[in-house]
Amino acid sequence: MAQILEFPRAAVSRAGNALAEPLRSMWPVHSVDDYGRDPHLVAALGPLARVRWGVTVGGAEHLPKRGGALLVCNSRRWALSNVWAAWALSEAIDRPVRFVGRPDVAPVGAFMRRIGGLLDSPAEVQGALRNHELVLVSAEPTAHPRNAGPVPHLLVGAAVVAGAPVFPVATMSSPMGRAARAEVGPQVRPRRKRRGPLAEVELAEQIQHHIQRILDGFGGMQTGVAPFDWLAEG
Amino acid sequence: MKGQRVLVSGMGSELGSLVAVQLESEPWVGSLVGIDVDPPRRRLRTAEFHLLQPSQRERIVDVVTKFNPHVVINLSVWEPDARAGLEHARRFTADATTAVIGAAAECPALEAMVVRSGVEVYGRGHRSITRPTETSPLQPTSEYGHMLANIERSAREVGRRIGISVGKLRLAPVLGKHVPSPLGRLLRQPMVPFSLLADAPFAVIEAGDAAAAFVRAAAQRLDEPVNIVAPGAITALQAILRGKRVPLPLVGPEWRVAARLSHMSGAPIPDHVVELMHRGRLADGGKARELLKFTPRLTTPEVIDHLYAWESVVRIGAIKEVA
Repeated sequence: MAQILEFPRAAVSRAGNALAEPLRSMWPVHSVDDYGRDPHLVAALGPLARVRWGVTVGGAEHLPKRGGALLVCNSRRWALSNVWAAWALSEAIDRPVRFVGRPDVAPVGAFMRRIGGLLDSPAEVQGALRNHELVLVSAEPTAHPRNAGPVPHLLVGAAVVAGAPVFPVATMSSPMGRAARAEVGPQVRPRRKRRGPLAEVELAEQIQHHIQRILDGFGGMQTGVAPFDWLAEG
Repeated sequence: MKGQRVLVSGMGSELGSLVAVQLESEPWVGSLVGIDVDPPRRRLRTAEFHLLQPSQRERIVDVVTKFNPHVVINLSVWEPDARAGLEHARRFTADATTAVIGAAAECPALEAMVVRSGVEVYGRGHRSITRPTETSPLQPTSEYGHMLANIERSAREVGRRIGISVGKLRLAPVLGKHVPSPLGRLLRQPMVPFSLLADAPFAVIEAGDAAAAFVRAAAQRLDEPVNIVAPGAITALQAILRGKRVPLPLVGPEWRVAARLSHMSGAPIPDHVVELMHRGRLADGGKARELLKFTPRLTTPEVIDHLYAWESVVRIGAIKEVA
């Protein structure tokens, strides 16, 4: 009688399971959310983030308990303001805050998607807002930490189209120390009703002014080195 | 709206059989006819079935025009490496689309058509959005995606010419107990490759949920594209660990070798599954909730758990004479 040659399924499974068991216990079985954010990974990276940034969050009560909203923060060059501000705000309000600006190249883009990153595309932001998500976009980065750069009006337009409220978030962090601060301002409402694209252009300018006003209220630069901070005050 | 005549093309597939079973219990359905290359996989009480090859266009036109349906549900789609290889899948799908949609256009009573499509039509090119909505541009980047986009185009053209509503259900990868799916087959292998650098998230839909969506779309005369996606998402590594399979991390060029080996062990990996592993496959299912009042019973992680809960093939030994 001819015997059917079979792949040694059981033996491979046993051997593989023996190898994979340590990994399995280290990495519990779970899943990601609708946008690929992994809350377990975010929680696991929390202590590491706290080593780098000790963030003080203010004004979180302005943010909605449910429903989507666009948050706009200022950004100092290379400061990763959108990443740490999204993480700190998520912890403060116990709701995932997604940040905009992940690249679409593996492995960096894939990793940033797992910690809540979205592409900087108006369609992507609009989709998230329509699904009642909190989305944080950053203004154009500046060299000076106390200056808010121009706010990308195309991304603000996504909030206008989706009918989502917009909140300014002023961020300040030290390039050397741990001290960081994220202050959420009250909702920015457009001064005039517009039917066309002027709505987002004007709203983007208003948001920039709001962020600048909050930054001015923060006081001096915080490098952690007093003489530099005194010089920067001038 | 009682006494409607409904034609299901692709009734022999698992999805088609489930749709037929659900349609039989719908009060608005008067008579039900199905065509396919395989007989239905469920016991049907009232449906009439015609065993027809996609190439038998004259016969298909004859059956469809005689029945003169009010609603046509087209499920005649061959996913590459599910039931047939890429070449055959492409030809069968094109033949069936031409014959069924063409025949339906000749029916004077026809009011609506619902066609099966997939989220593969959005493509996963560079900077394509994470969760495309129905308004996102169709830029397929896989063979299967192109096949589905062609079906949508044909149905849309016919709908425009004869003035009927055409609903397009863009399904996430369909998994189910008897659904031949290259993704399901790959994930159930003892050792499963995954992209170490990307490990991108994807969503799926259970066959029963997909069938329910088709029935709702037909009942409501859906006239636009709708994504049918189970809530939640999962990555390949997470799925592998849930299924207690052995993860095989791959970086890039060795995917070709892995795909060959997987093909030899009975689970070919077509390009749209490789794309899913590298670039992910999510879609926004919010419109289905709004328009069809449809919420899938199972979330994506639950569908994956069910996938691993299915029994493997049980081999029964030869019958021995004892007396």
